Amino acid sequence: MILHSSFFILHFQEMRQLIDFLVRKRHWLLFFLLEVVAFLLIYQNSTYQRTILISSANVVTGHIASLAGSVTSYFSLGEVNRELTMRNGELEMEVIALRDEIEALQAKERPFMGFLPESIEHFPYSFVAAKVVNNSVTHLSNYITINRGRKAGIEPDMGVVSDQGVVGIVTKVSDYFAVVMPMLNPKFGLSCKLAGNNYFGTLNWNGRDPRLVQLNELPRHVEFEKGDTVVTSSYSGIFPPGIIVGTVVDARRQHDDNFHALDIAPSTDFQSLTNVRVLINPMQAEQRRLESEIKER
Amino acid sequence: MIQDVIRGLIYFVVLVLIQVLFLNHIHFLRMVTPFLYVYFLLKLPYDISRNYMLLIAFFTGLVVDAFTNTPGMHAAACTLAVFCREPMIRFWVGKDLPDGVYPSYRSFGFGNFFKYTLSFVLIHHTALFLIESFSLFDPLFLSLRILGSSAMTILLILAVEAFNVESQQSEDKR
Repeated sequence: MILHSSFFILHFQEMRQLIDFLVRKRHWLLFFLLEVVAFLLIYQNSTYQRTILISSANVVTGHIASLAGSVTSYFSLGEVNRELTMRNGELEMEVIALRDEIEALQAKERPFMGFLPESIEHFPYSFVAAKVVNNSVTHLSNYITINRGRKAGIEPDMGVVSDQGVVGIVTKVSDYFAVVMPMLNPKFGLSCKLAGNNYFGTLNWNGRDPRLVQLNELPRHVEFEKGDTVVTSSYSGIFPPGIIVGTVVDARRQHDDNFHALDIAPSTDFQSLTNVRVLINPMQAEQRRLESEIKER
Repeated sequence: MIQDVIRGLIYFVVLVLIQVLFLNHIHFLRMVTPFLYVYFLLKLPYDISRNYMLLIAFFTGLVVDAFTNTPGMHAAACTLAVFCREPMIRFWVGKDLPDGVYPSYRSFGFGNFFKYTLSFVLIHHTALFLIESFSLFDPLFLSLRILGSSAMTILLILAVEAFNVESQQSEDKR
């Protein structure tokens, strides 16, 4: 019995030592406990079920983060500003491109005011809408560049008109551009007539005033008044007959009084020219070929 | 006692805010991020109860985790580092420290404080980046990150400690 109790005491002492040890080293227990909790959190986080409490999505951290964001956003204003400027530029270019497209479409849709048909004949010409990219009126030899070329079906010697009337004739064509010789060029010559009769003359420019072109060699007996409309004749094949060129402003005698020379105010405003149409005459080539055959003979 | 609590709270708030608002966004060379908030754990009083220390460290790590969306990682690393803190201080500085002293240049001496900081930060960062690399193990990148971040953290801690007014005043008192 005594032996037994002493053993018990011994055992008890061992137990106490163990407990003492555990109490002394209880920070070890806490350490392991905390690490276990931490790793549980890590593994829980590695699945999709995130703990909202310990994340930037909870109320406190969210507020602090958004507060910090609202403060730090000022630091990046320079960069943001630069990006916005870039974006603004891009959008501006897009707006310009779209506006161009709209204008081009409108130019196609807009009724053609420069056509003065003598009968209800069919208008045989098709056209390509183009935009003026370069223009001059102040030189002696003026030229207009448009943004459509061979790829759009444009060839030299095609007529170019604006909404109001004749502009000029295509002289040179590249793949995507064409150079137009307008009426305001001394080399320009076009067969024209007064609306209402069939007497024709040649339209030229004397290089002095871009607001006036001259219709020469009109027979003297032709009657006209100031304000009469001058239209294209049907002789060139470049323009269909009846396209408005301008109105008579003044008249002079010419060549021993046998001819008139008329000052014509072009109906086209060359100084504000933006949209033009290039007239494509499918019969022009045939007419030219026929005419050249005769010349060769 | 209450003074210690207030001091600790100020350290905690300031350092954790600096950490989560600024330093967490630093990715120098796309891999080095300093973790200055361990300075708070470094500067806990020497004679604080180890259990409190572990709980404080765990909680601190958890708060930083909350901001970085890495639940448990900082908590585990902080708990481990703080668990090794006392043996480290005993190893580097010896046992002859007066009660209530804060680790600082003056109380530890520059060399000892440096060694203490170095080992503490290395343990913390190694644990942190190891835990982080569970998802993608890349030994070279991992060691580069540990060494780089540790160097940056240590530099920051030494700089902050050099300009820490409290460390210099506290030495005058004690």
